[in-house]
Amino acid sequence: MKKIRVIFIFVVLLSLQFMNAYGVQRFPKPDFESGYLQPETLQPSARAGLLAIMDVSVLALALALVSWLVLKKRSRTGVFWTSVFSLAYFGFYRQGCVCSIGAIQNVTLALFDKSYVIPLAVLAFFILPLVFTLFFGRTFCAGVCPFGAMQDLVSFRPQKPDPRLNAVLGMMPYIYLGLAVLYAATGSDFIICRYDPFVGIFRFNASFGMLIFSGTLLVSGIFIARPYCRYLCPYGVLLNWASRFSWRHLTITPDKCIQCRLCEESCPYDAIDIPVVDLNPEGRSVTARKLILVSLLVPFFIVLGGWTGSRLHETLAGVNGKVRLAKILLEPERYRDQPEPFEVTAYKSSGKPLTVVYDEAAGVLRRFYTGGWLLGCFIGLVFGMILAGRLLTRYSTDYTPNKGACFSCARCVDYCPVEKNGTKEVKP
Amino acid sequence: MKNNHDTGHRGLFRTVALISAVFAMVMCVLIVVNYIQVKRTDPLNTPVMKALVERLQGNPGDDQLRQQIRELDLLARKAFFTTQWQVRMGGYLLFFSLLIAVICLKYLEMREKPVPEAPQGEKTDFWNDRNINRSWVAYTGIGIVVLALVLGTLTHLELGKRLEPAGLLMGGNNATFNAGNANNAGNADNADSGKRRVAVAVVTEGYPSAQEINANFASFRGPGGDGIALKQNTPTSWDGKGMKNILWKTEVPLPGFNSPIIWNDRVFLTGASETTREVYCFDLNSGKIIWKFPVDKIQGTPAKAPVVNKETGQCAPTMTTDGRRVYAIFANGDLIALDMDGKKVWAKNLGLPANHYGHSSSLVMYHDLLIIQYDQRGAGCVMALSGKTGEVAWKTSRNVRISWASPILVNTGSRMELILVADPLVASYNPADGKELWKMECISGEVGPSVAYADGVVFSVNDYAKLAAVEIGDPPKLLWEDNEYLSDIPSPLATGKYLFLATSYGTVVCYDARKGTKYWVHEYDTPIYASPILANGKVYLLDKKGVMHIVKADQTYAVVGEPQLGEGSVCTPAFASGRIVIRGDKSLFCIGKP
Repeated sequence: MKKIRVIFIFVVLLSLQFMNAYGVQRFPKPDFESGYLQPETLQPSARAGLLAIMDVSVLALALALVSWLVLKKRSRTGVFWTSVFSLAYFGFYRQGCVCSIGAIQNVTLALFDKSYVIPLAVLAFFILPLVFTLFFGRTFCAGVCPFGAMQDLVSFRPQKPDPRLNAVLGMMPYIYLGLAVLYAATGSDFIICRYDPFVGIFRFNASFGMLIFSGTLLVSGIFIARPYCRYLCPYGVLLNWASRFSWRHLTITPDKCIQCRLCEESCPYDAIDIPVVDLNPEGRSVTARKLILVSLLVPFFIVLGGWTGSRLHETLAGVNGKVRLAKILLEPERYRDQPEPFEVTAYKSSGKPLTVVYDEAAGVLRRFYTGGWLLGCFIGLVFGMILAGRLLTRYSTDYTPNKGACFSCARCVDYCPVEKNGTKEVKP
Repeated sequence: MKNNHDTGHRGLFRTVALISAVFAMVMCVLIVVNYIQVKRTDPLNTPVMKALVERLQGNPGDDQLRQQIRELDLLARKAFFTTQWQVRMGGYLLFFSLLIAVICLKYLEMREKPVPEAPQGEKTDFWNDRNINRSWVAYTGIGIVVLALVLGTLTHLELGKRLEPAGLLMGGNNATFNAGNANNAGNADNADSGKRRVAVAVVTEGYPSAQEINANFASFRGPGGDGIALKQNTPTSWDGKGMKNILWKTEVPLPGFNSPIIWNDRVFLTGASETTREVYCFDLNSGKIIWKFPVDKIQGTPAKAPVVNKETGQCAPTMTTDGRRVYAIFANGDLIALDMDGKKVWAKNLGLPANHYGHSSSLVMYHDLLIIQYDQRGAGCVMALSGKTGEVAWKTSRNVRISWASPILVNTGSRMELILVADPLVASYNPADGKELWKMECISGEVGPSVAYADGVVFSVNDYAKLAAVEIGDPPKLLWEDNEYLSDIPSPLATGKYLFLATSYGTVVCYDARKGTKYWVHEYDTPIYASPILANGKVYLLDKKGVMHIVKADQTYAVVGEPQLGEGSVCTPAFASGRIVIRGDKSLFCIGKP
């Protein structure tokens, strides 16, 4: 009887919800003689605030959980399932937005454009993973980033990449980061979002080109683990830097390394530093001379990079809508036989004077000139530092994760036969 | 037994994975084919459809053919959207088949986890790997620099150098395909982008002497635009209705609120409607229209006339002349130079000014430079164009709001200054190169009245702001200010001793120019839109009904006369020797003794 009463009350309460159906406009909108048209009634996104809080909470919890799984539980399985959850939640449910990678651009824009107010959730997405990385290494990459999770899923036959490929592609994330910051700072574009290879999959609306791009990444990801994370991700650059100073980072072995070499091939990301005990065959003095030379050349690399970047500023500025429009208007003969570009149609209807368009475009170009210098200097500095880094050797006797490159995925942990206080038996 | 069961499971998963993968591959191929198909077909422009449409154009009354086109169109659209739906569904199927394949493979991977094995053979050669890596890092760096330089060189268009001067030389918000001028933009030889001022070498030619200028009435409010007509024997009595002392009266073909200008025996003004713009030349002696020039076919002219306030109209700016050519500007940004016989010398469109009431700043000449105040929303500037060629001599950007005032040219004794007013400042420029000389923030709002100047003091005024007397210099000094009587349309008039301020609500005030004390205030019943002109020691104040209130330029209010035009007027009169030319609402009047 009591149960029936509860059900009855529940049904009554539920039926009250139908009252909302009467929340329609009861009187027709007035017609104005002046020709004024009533604007369309916009439905506010009532859940947006709540979802933002939920996103940040889930992010924080997921980061905490993965950090615990990696450092305390040392559980690859736990990390894997958390990453599946992150892929489902941040990827398919939240459709890849907001994401920490793209948040770089929001933060940059907020720094350079006073009129832009960065949402707190976006700021949290930018900062939280960095803070966790400073404490625990790249646990965000391990099990929270949906991009990483997606690539991890398809990494069936990872091969150790050739050092030449690593060298060539290793520079790309820095360039991508620099470009993303430049375009965001100039208010030109959010290129990370525009060329996001996975968001089209999350939303089932990828353009054909992006589908080819993401397909290529995923197919290559079968053999080269996490290609986007390693060779493109701009946020990975920041996490790499932060992780180098991490307070507690994942260790392969919980105790003393027994030099069994079982973990040597375990890392699909080539992020394990193998022991280096032999002296450099080229001799210390030669290496020292090279190091001094590279150190002295770093300022040159910076200036050369800056100058090169400045030479490229017009090409870079071509992405900017104002510059693109001005170029079309300046060179109409190039577009004479083509349908009128949308931006020209929009410009014509705006009634904006041509002088304003040119002045604005000239202003953007000046910003790109400065930006080109800074971008080039940054890449020159990175190049110099990488080159110098290749001359420094940290001699060690144990297998250790490379704190910068390691994604803290905990794969290597499963391969280590050492227990905290003894040796564990590896079961087939 | 358990092993067999396990093996069976794995086999099942392997088979499912294989089928899913094959299915995904097939879907992938189908999607690609479908995509190419969608890209290649344009359903609404098929040859069949085109042929049918052409047939219908030849025979518009053929309803059967019309119906056939409609059916074909519907079919084409259906086919197009079906293909799109197929692509979308294919995407879903591809995704889910891949998902199934991945799940199966992951399951197998977990079940078939290999026992960790130490790598056989020698350890990785760390030093060798690192040397290779180091070399390739260096190659990559070099490659990036080379690639960037090649790309930069190939794509570098000197856009910056072309854009800044192009902003000056090109005009017209619709002048999308005005390539000729854009190429000229490259001729700019001095682009001072930091100060937002550009100066370009231009062709120069002779210009009228100061005596010639003073002998004529070549711009709005007289020589230099300061409201002082250096004329003697100016009429003080007439009657428009009775044609007393009216030498002639000629109807102006098109309306306009610009004022007449006079050069020798010719009077010039403009008229415009939303579709037509014209320049008129009248004979000062007979009132006959000597010539009129339709202003059209200017490259870059917007297709539609701008929406303007009815009290501004399509041709509020007054013309100017240097005796060699006359110059006119319209609300749509059309600028034209005609020789004294009405032949076009050059014309261009400066771009539709972003001005919600309509552009109204009049033109003024400095030597052979045509000076244009072009303060519009977001892109205020003052520029000088060669009178002969229309090339931009200089352009100075101004960080001001829209202004409806006109520039004035004054001789301070030591130099010529071009003085402009716009919210928030009064600013002075060197008319030869556009360099800013000084500025003072002393005004706000939608500024209509131009400044007055006399004996080193500039007077600015605007409604809902204040009247300010600024002693010029670097820095300028605020002498006094007042906000009791303010004007929003007529410009003030200054003599050495007095400042006369007429307001659009009909009150006229006389101030001590140096101290700001009021000598007299007189209220007329009729609004005054025309700016007062000082001529022969008298102030000519034309009210909106066409009554000219002539008062002595003195510290006591003394009426000299109040002759009537017989027609309303909002335009400022122009003065010639012994004559006054007034543009009424419909007609142009010449007043003087026969």
